[in-house]
Amino acid sequence: MKLKKILIALLVGTLLVGMLTSCSKGENNQASSDIGQENQGTKKEEKKETVRLKFFTGKIETIDLMNEIINDFNQSQNRIIVEQEYQKDASNIIKIKFAADQAPDIMTTYEQGFADQGKYLDLSDQSDLWNRLTPAMKEACTDIKTGKQYRIATNMTMAGFFYNKELFNDLGLDVATTWEEFEKNLETIKSERPDITPWFIFGSEAWHLGHLIEFIPHGYIKQTLGAVEAKKAMLDNDHSKLNFGAADGPMAQFAGKMLDLLQKGYINEDVLTATNDNCVQDFVNGRAAMLSNGMWILSSLLEANPEMEDKIGFAPYPSYMPNSSPVVLSAEDSGYSISATTEYKEEAIEFLNFLFSAENQKKYSELSKAPSAFTDVDADWAPENIVNEVSYAVANAVNIGFTNEKPAGFSGDDAGRMVQELLAGKYNAEEFAIAYENAWDSGMN
Amino acid sequence: MEKNKIGLHTFMALPAFALFSVFFIYPLIKGIGMSLTDWDGMSKASFIGLDNFRQFFGDERAINNIRTTVLFALGSAPLLNLVGLIYALLMNSRFKGKGLARMIIYLPAIISPLIMGYIWYLLLQPGRGFIYHFLEQMGKSSWFGNWLGSYGTAMLVLILVNVWQYAGMTMVIYLAGLQAIPEELYEAAKVDGATFPKRLFYITLPMLMPAIRINVVTNIIGSLSVFDIVMSLTSGGPGYATETLSIYIMRMSYGARTGYSTAVAIIMFFIILIPVLVSMWLTRVKSLD
Repeated sequence: MKLKKILIALLVGTLLVGMLTSCSKGENNQASSDIGQENQGTKKEEKKETVRLKFFTGKIETIDLMNEIINDFNQSQNRIIVEQEYQKDASNIIKIKFAADQAPDIMTTYEQGFADQGKYLDLSDQSDLWNRLTPAMKEACTDIKTGKQYRIATNMTMAGFFYNKELFNDLGLDVATTWEEFEKNLETIKSERPDITPWFIFGSEAWHLGHLIEFIPHGYIKQTLGAVEAKKAMLDNDHSKLNFGAADGPMAQFAGKMLDLLQKGYINEDVLTATNDNCVQDFVNGRAAMLSNGMWILSSLLEANPEMEDKIGFAPYPSYMPNSSPVVLSAEDSGYSISATTEYKEEAIEFLNFLFSAENQKKYSELSKAPSAFTDVDADWAPENIVNEVSYAVANAVNIGFTNEKPAGFSGDDAGRMVQELLAGKYNAEEFAIAYENAWDSGMN
Repeated sequence: MEKNKIGLHTFMALPAFALFSVFFIYPLIKGIGMSLTDWDGMSKASFIGLDNFRQFFGDERAINNIRTTVLFALGSAPLLNLVGLIYALLMNSRFKGKGLARMIIYLPAIISPLIMGYIWYLLLQPGRGFIYHFLEQMGKSSWFGNWLGSYGTAMLVLILVNVWQYAGMTMVIYLAGLQAIPEELYEAAKVDGATFPKRLFYITLPMLMPAIRINVVTNIIGSLSVFDIVMSLTSGGPGYATETLSIYIMRMSYGARTGYSTAVAIIMFFIILIPVLVSMWLTRVKSLD
């Protein structure tokens, strides 16, 4: 009995000691004394020679290509080793990394809030790189508050309406430039081809609805105020310029038009539950005539039905307010930043220079189906028909960028959820505009 | 001798206490501290007292989330217990294929709620889901509505899917309780001429009180902290109509409001604690009866 007790006590003690020693990292380091001290000198020398750079990305579509480029870089010299870390939820994981003081050396995630807090290295002095970039892209990479550049965007992306060219030709439809023409097109599709959804919206995914706000009413604000003034108005929450809550303002007009389209049956009935996959399948199988999205959907469309290559058209968002023009998103994509706290600034820049070489950027552009922002890169980023369609749309519409100046407490997804509420019948157009303004205001605080 | 015994027992409790301290007490204290700051998850935090708590009770969306969470629990917890009890009573009787029936009822409980949610999403999609196509084949497609995208029905769907998934778990606990009731009690009652309802209310239910207690408490906790089923079926939508407190906490935390989301988590802790204590007290009183 006594022996049993002693045995139990020993077991418990061993467990406790084991647990405590495994937790005490610092003490453990001290304990591994002699061998550690011997190795320290060698390690320091090794550290001097070999630098390990952490590259953090949230772009799943480029993982394999980035690994290939990284391998090429690692083998091209013996001082720097780059390691890629992919996280699906990168924009949130990076917050944890910053909070834990474990910022990666190079990252693809960029947010105004981080820039304000000085988390990124100032890259304004990299004139060799900036000289290769289009002026519009350099402007897009410039922080409005400081006038400095904290990221280098390698590609452009566009967003607008993808439409079925074959169907449009059959029905004798032209690309709409005004909302009236747009609605007329939807009406014709609905009456001539009742089995086809004129405009497919996958509203179960809030970001998609948030993008409608981003491209249509925010697009109107950006085109009327100009890119810089619009950014300033958003940062300052200048009600007189943004005019979100007004009954005749951009938000109420947008909401009214969306409700009208829904009521007339020009939008899919399952708008609130439809997913991105549903949208892709319906579009490539000819069950949907139009969809709003960015270039990032192109690979899914062509993968689902390669025969669509010649049938995909691309058009700007039609003007929906008086005295306005059609708009198309033509924005920066694939931005790279360096952490302000990195010990290896020179090495990080060396890697970026390798990554940004014309040869690597051609591969990158063709894989990500996005045109390169570098003037010396000649890439076949999409089938010829689509390239022509996009070029025409970009040349014939007001080009707008993404809104990076949104309030921290009111994300694009939040805006999208408000559109869900609108489509579910919670608001009329005026109520929606007021609710949007209130949400924007409270997000500022 | 007795003193030595107490010392040894205290010593043996140390590992468990250490784990409890590291994974519960320390985070709890840290969380309380964090809830009194404006920490955004990145920069330095400043002490702001009870501002986060004040802000919560002044936020329309947050109050609506309490309503949604409580509504879900009010629908889900009693229904889970009722359905679980009915299943258990059925499974406690003798019939052919009982083993298979018991397995079918319990099966959903072992599948991840997230996966279960996505499966139900695919079944319930209007115009695309299996149920719609089934009704269409029967010529009854008009019976189908946009249940997940409508304010009136989205919550009902969530409650029913939750009950469908976890009723098997509740049943197993009730079944164990039922099988522990001595058969002699029923035999004696039958001899005395007690009918089925009388046997149910005067023998079965009082004897089942420990099982009821476990089920009520776990179902209240589970329902008030629901996350995965809601996230996979409606993502809290349409809009914020089915957004529960746990989803709100996650969104606030990812929206650079870590201090505030920690305060909401503490509020949620009390929102769960109160009904749990009340139900424990009520079932304790009944068990003494």
